[in-house]
Amino acid sequence: MRRETQPSGSGERKPTEMPASRRASYTMRDTAVFARRYGIVVVFVLLCLLVSAVCQYKVIRGEWPENAFTTADNFLLILYQVSINGILAIGMTIVIISGGIDLSVGSVLAFAGMLAASFATRSAAVTPWSGTYGIAIPVVSALLAGVACGAVNGWVVSRFRIQAFIVTLGMLLAARGFTMSLTGGNPISSLSPALRWFGTGRLFRVPVPIVILLIVFGCVWVLLNKTVFGRHVYAVGGNESSARTSGIKTNRVKIWVYISSGFLAGLAGIVLTAKTGSAQTNAGGSYELDAIAAAVIGGSSMKGGVGTVSGTLFGALIMGVMNNGLDILGVESFYQSIIKGVLIVAAVILDASRGREDD
Amino acid sequence: MKKSLLFASVLLVAAALSPGLAAASKKVRIAVLMYGNKAEFVQLMQRYGRQHPAVTSGLVDITFYDGRYDAAVQNDQAQLAINAKCDAVIVNPMDFEANIEVVKKANAAHIPVIVANARLNTAEMTSEVASDDVLGGYLEARNVLQKLACKGNVVIIEGPKGGSGEIQRGQGNMKAISECPAGAVRILERRTANWSRAEALDLMQNWLSKHRGTIDGVIAQNDEMALGAIEAIKSAGLNVNKFAIAGIDGVTDALYAVKRGEMTSILQDAKAQMQASIDVALRAVLGAGYKPMSPIWKQYESSLQWNDGQNKRYAIPWTVVTTTNADQLLESRK
Repeated sequence: MRRETQPSGSGERKPTEMPASRRASYTMRDTAVFARRYGIVVVFVLLCLLVSAVCQYKVIRGEWPENAFTTADNFLLILYQVSINGILAIGMTIVIISGGIDLSVGSVLAFAGMLAASFATRSAAVTPWSGTYGIAIPVVSALLAGVACGAVNGWVVSRFRIQAFIVTLGMLLAARGFTMSLTGGNPISSLSPALRWFGTGRLFRVPVPIVILLIVFGCVWVLLNKTVFGRHVYAVGGNESSARTSGIKTNRVKIWVYISSGFLAGLAGIVLTAKTGSAQTNAGGSYELDAIAAAVIGGSSMKGGVGTVSGTLFGALIMGVMNNGLDILGVESFYQSIIKGVLIVAAVILDASRGREDD
Repeated sequence: MKKSLLFASVLLVAAALSPGLAAASKKVRIAVLMYGNKAEFVQLMQRYGRQHPAVTSGLVDITFYDGRYDAAVQNDQAQLAINAKCDAVIVNPMDFEANIEVVKKANAAHIPVIVANARLNTAEMTSEVASDDVLGGYLEARNVLQKLACKGNVVIIEGPKGGSGEIQRGQGNMKAISECPAGAVRILERRTANWSRAEALDLMQNWLSKHRGTIDGVIAQNDEMALGAIEAIKSAGLNVNKFAIAGIDGVTDALYAVKRGEMTSILQDAKAQMQASIDVALRAVLGAGYKPMSPIWKQYESSLQWNDGQNKRYAIPWTVVTTTNADQLLESRK
């Protein structure tokens, strides 16, 4: 049996006592524990070193004046580019740990972004809440839209016991339709400087999207590791019926899980709209797949009960380094796709072998 | 023999009278198969379609289908429209090859089929109404190179690989570059951002990180990607006005950027493409007596001839958008 209520992967797993009979294979198990905890970090570092080495090789051969990859600015840029996928993937991680999936995040992101933009155009009436300098209405409406979509997902999943895959697939289509109906399919541009701050502003010289990502990471880490709710999420995902018999209100947990994911999708919608300076009806297309990929690379198991938010953050970073590094190296995007595909499957193979080891 | 002659003359008379007849009795039903409806350009095409004088006057009943970016869906919708007894089909195809099926189906049902905006790899259609993408690509690249005085480093942000837009606009880009002295212009990078502003933003940021201070010009094969590049330049804290940037399409955001002096856009006239298609379709349905109703024929008098709607191909002219005509275009979209 896999341990239900404890996260595996990097960081949060408590060390377990080793039975005497297993002492013999101590070092092997030690390596396994180490790989489980820090494997993702090792992969991340190796990837960075690899890209950096290739860049350095080009510098040595005189093709390039400098190593463009290994600069502080470039690492900040990678974090900036990772921020949206990171926020979505952290939400996705909560859902996947609970044993579900949320395919609607890309569409919900577009819907929330469009709603925020519609209240934050330069031509909108200037009040303290909306228009050029007001920011409350655009931001709150986008977050509420995300929460509402998530609440519907969670309610339908738990109340009617329908597979999350299908429910959130429905929401994927519906939210895209809502987005288009808001403006009849047209984009909204000329956004107020206040809204654009969320994508282009800086706080203590750090771009705002990175700050948002780190805050989200911190909050969700605490939520999953230091609260009763977090333990319940792992319990529900590990074994729902035993979680129910042990007194956990599983339906309520699930609803909050999807609300969290919807909320974060709404937040990501604000950031993306602010970043590109325009809310578009086709924004966020297939972002759900990138979010799932980041979570899975980071060690979340689609079977539920397993996953960590720090693993996911590194999963997203790995994808970000690949996009950035391969762009800098001038590798065509179809090879990027192939490499990403291989990495996801490799992560799951690793995950499956971990499962066997725990038997 | 006699019978068929009689039949033919009846048809001719009917055709001659039919504009009046159709207005009085039955509307002409035109099905427009759009490849999708999630971009501003397709929205504009639909809007101008509904504003065609023949539609507003009630002569034509127009139905738009959303192809959902899937060639197979469009082929199915063609069958649907034919089954619903439409009189003509206008298709804005998703795929250069796969959507030839639409033309085949319409021909089998003996109804006129007009290919609008993009192209299909066949000559079986009634007529084609599109802008020459090679020319568009040439115009935008030439604009960038003129600003650089044919000297410097450029990057090219391409459309989806293998699509007719990317291939033809790319040919035009290269044609303009080849007109500069050999070796004077270096193409530092060329990659796709799939027509997407968000993708172009990331791509351009990575390029700026790699080629610190050496990029002089950005040739983006559509406006959205040019706008993404502009955002990337701004987010890197650089001065957009130091770059020569051009895109194609003339979407509203790009018109504003042109006004701010940040880029040049080559307007692809959605109105002319759509409204000319409708006129050509009406001519095919109603016969020789039909006179085109859209104002675009007057507007492009010098460069676009009606020729009684019989041309196999109508090349809708491009317009280079500058600060002088940007306002006027923006006004017309209100």
